[in-house]
Amino acid sequence: MKKRILVCDDEEPIRLLLTESLQDTYDIAEASNGREALRSATKEKFDLIIMDIKMPQVHGLEAIERIRERNDSIPIIICSAYRPMEDDIVVKTSNIASFITKPIDIKTLRAKIFELIGE
Amino acid sequence: MGTVSVSLQFGELKKKESPLHKRTILLLRFVLILSTILLMTYSDRGLNFASPGYAVALAYFLSNLALYFVPEIKFSRPILTFAIFLTDVFAISMAIYLTQGLQTDFYLIYFLIIFIASVGQDIRGSIPIAIVASIFYAWLLHRTSPGLSIMDSAILIKVPFLFIVSLISSYWSTAIRREVREKSKFEAIARNLEDEIARITDKESELRHYSETVINSVTSGVIVVKEDGVVTTINPEAARVLGTKQETITGKDINSIPGLEALWQRMQQSIHSGEPLERLQISITNSHNEDTPIGLSVSPINSPNTNFSGCVGILRDLSDIKELEDKLRHAERLSYLGKMATWVAHEIRNPLTAIDGFSQLLPHTRDMSKIETFSKEIARGTQRINHIIEDILTFARAKTRVNASNIDLRQLMTQITENIGGVRIFINGEASATIKGEEESLKSLFTNIINNSIDAMDKDPKIVIEFRKTRQWLVIELRDNGKGISPENMQKLFTPFFTTKSRGTGLGLAIAKKIVDDHKGKLEIKSEEGEGTICRVYLPLENGQGCTAP
Repeated sequence: MKKRILVCDDEEPIRLLLTESLQDTYDIAEASNGREALRSATKEKFDLIIMDIKMPQVHGLEAIERIRERNDSIPIIICSAYRPMEDDIVVKTSNIASFITKPIDIKTLRAKIFELIGE
Repeated sequence: MGTVSVSLQFGELKKKESPLHKRTILLLRFVLILSTILLMTYSDRGLNFASPGYAVALAYFLSNLALYFVPEIKFSRPILTFAIFLTDVFAISMAIYLTQGLQTDFYLIYFLIIFIASVGQDIRGSIPIAIVASIFYAWLLHRTSPGLSIMDSAILIKVPFLFIVSLISSYWSTAIRREVREKSKFEAIARNLEDEIARITDKESELRHYSETVINSVTSGVIVVKEDGVVTTINPEAARVLGTKQETITGKDINSIPGLEALWQRMQQSIHSGEPLERLQISITNSHNEDTPIGLSVSPINSPNTNFSGCVGILRDLSDIKELEDKLRHAERLSYLGKMATWVAHEIRNPLTAIDGFSQLLPHTRDMSKIETFSKEIARGTQRINHIIEDILTFARAKTRVNASNIDLRQLMTQITENIGGVRIFINGEASATIKGEEESLKSLFTNIINNSIDAMDKDPKIVIEFRKTRQWLVIELRDNGKGISPENMQKLFTPFFTTKSRGTGLGLAIAKKIVDDHKGKLEIKSEEGEGTICRVYLPLENGQGCTAP
């Protein structure tokens, strides 16, 4: 059975890109904002979450915090257009999650996911 | 300055007159004694040396000397002087008697006594003395020459002469005394005037010192300039601002000092209009050739009382403030630039991610429909990047190009709002709302405002849009029931790259403001936290004035 990944990004093209890049190996679910992500993460079980930071309604960081309250072991990859050094908030998150920056190198992303959850 | 008031003090006048009076009488009596001694010595019928006449004369001399110690005030009493003159008449009569009367020359001394009496007591003194002398003389002549007739020429000539001398000398002495009195009076007036002038001068210098102290203590620069440009007063701070010294510039024509043209120009403006000028900012070149920004207020002075026409200028050195402002502006610019760079980086990286990612996928994709989808996404990303660049340029450009055409704003508003779901939108008011403007700009203006409202609303979102007309404006009011804007955010509303939204660019309202400005309109935002926000857009109604020409 394929491992499940939740992709959360408010940008539709980014969600599409991630889904297209990963769906051959993993089972992908999408969320377009932090609130949706929270809802999905509560209802279903995922092996990994890929989360954007700057999103309307519920901010990515807030969503991560809330998810961590329930499940502190689930691997989370923050996928943001910010560089870790560009924003204090992002720096703070680096110890609670992995970080990849946009634009994404698909090979690097896959390698990171593989490193975290395997296939 | 006030009127000079002179009060004459007559008591002082009399006091000043009496020593002269006393001294004159005593001096004249010495002359009298001396004349008597001369007569005693050289007259044909003079007394010989053995005569006690000299002893009498000496006693007389001493008594006259003693009179010097009699207080002056006593001499103003007629009784004393009269007694002295009577004694004199008596003494001379004795001398005449002793020297055989008619032939003696001692009677000449009577004239002197009468003269002295007239000096001492005017006609009131001289006439009684003349009478007494005449009686004595007549009696003496009668005694010494018993046969002498009253009609004898010796009496007929000599006695009237006594009266003539009495009259003439008293007339003369009165005249002199009047003159002296007048003179003293004028002297007193002069003295009073001098005192008064000294007092006024003191007062004036005190006042001058006071006002100088006040003006010099003011921390702002104060400069007073006459109508013709002559600097009459300048305090140390003004001198410092102008880079000069108080003593160098005072009394000089401000026109003759290079670099102060702007200052003098504003001062003239105020003098000629008679109106004060307040809180101006001008630039002068001080004497060290440095451009100095100064804050200036000018008040015209036109005082008929002091015959002064000119103005007073209050100067404030703005160098420090200007420098601080520049630094702040620079820091703000840097901060904008930083925010803008971050924003641009973030905004561009998202579409870039799509472009880059789909490009990576394309070579491994065989499915034609997917190839098509990925290609479309690449194109969309490119467009998005282009749009972002457009946004930045719109914001950064000095003026939006407005391609003016008639726009029905009601129709435009319907178009904007028809695809918005989940929000109740009401459009009320004026049915016709056509103005001249640029469609794309106006569309993005209202889209921005409506999007802000949508983002701010949680429960039962509702936007009421109302069109109104005033004489000059078309007013479009957009009212939402969102969370409102906090007072501290209210101030930063139009600041570029300021946003409270996670997905906001921070350019929405900054661009909206710009579009409204380009259409020569006004943008007004009122908000109460928790109550909602009212946004009013004023666009000018007059034809052709609604926008800037392309």
